[in-house]
Amino acid sequence: MLASDGPDEDWVRRAQAGDRKAFSELVRRHQERVYRYLLRMLGSHDDALELTQDAFVKAWQALPQWQPEAQFRTWLFRIANNAALDALRRRKLVEFVPMEDSFDAPSCEPGPERQAQATQEVRQLEASLKRLAPEHREILLLREVEEMSYEEIGRVLSLSEGTVKSRLARARAALIEIHARSRP
Amino acid sequence: MSPTEKCPRTEALSTLVDDELDEPARVALDAHVAGCAICAPVLAEFRQLRTTFAALPDVAPGVDFAPLVDRRIAAAVVPKPKPRPRRWRWWQVAPATFGGALSLSLGVYLGSALMLGSQVAAQPAALQMAAFTANPPGALCPALQVCQPTGR
Repeated sequence: MLASDGPDEDWVRRAQAGDRKAFSELVRRHQERVYRYLLRMLGSHDDALELTQDAFVKAWQALPQWQPEAQFRTWLFRIANNAALDALRRRKLVEFVPMEDSFDAPSCEPGPERQAQATQEVRQLEASLKRLAPEHREILLLREVEEMSYEEIGRVLSLSEGTVKSRLARARAALIEIHARSRP
Repeated sequence: MSPTEKCPRTEALSTLVDDELDEPARVALDAHVAGCAICAPVLAEFRQLRTTFAALPDVAPGVDFAPLVDRRIAAAVVPKPKPRPRRWRWWQVAPATFGGALSLSLGVYLGSALMLGSQVAAQPAALQMAAFTANPPGALCPALQVCQPTGR
């Protein structure tokens, strides 16, 4: 019996042997990150719920191809990202997203004025993110939210580290531009 | 930093924000940014972006996907009985083959009979005119010389 805090790779090997409980453990470990990523990629709770399930089912089906050299999280995000891009292409959500449709902002500890400003900034960021091209949104989310290294991002998106570096810079510049245009 | 490099040095600034520049490059860029009116605000904006990203609310699905995924996997792995490819056995096709051959033979036979009948119709005109002779075909022969065509 494996300890529930053991490395992913041990659980993956058991899942590869057909152990569905081991796979459920992997789902529980990664579900929040995958859901969060898909929610911000797609901008819809329902779509994110559906695609999170789809991504895990696809991961189960692709488990025989998983190699121990690949980090499970990276491999899983690759599947989730492909699912998100497919969905965006299918549903044509790439072009237009209304500004008002943003997530709930977090509460901040500082005073009410600073709190209102921070809330506004977060709302604007979320709205701007939705207007960003998917290839810029995905790379920014992987770096800023999922805190992946350049190397890991490269593996998820099948890019060289040099391309990751330049695309991140372009993505940041594009987001700042969208952000500036949407400011009152 | 190369002196010919244009500002803003977006890629280098982005890498600096990610703390992915090696030490000499970081020191050189810091020195450049301190005196560059174009790069300094860009770096400030990149840093502000990082801060705002860090303040994004931590969204949770509010659902445990494990049982949902497991149900879908279980439903997918149940082997569905596949219809076996149908192979014809000789004893299954024999009656149909025999029936077909019989129909074909009957068709050929009837066709041939009809062809023979049409040949009767295509007899020479002289023979057809025999119906108008003194002793038409099928009539009783009153005398031998009457019925002998050569005897005429």
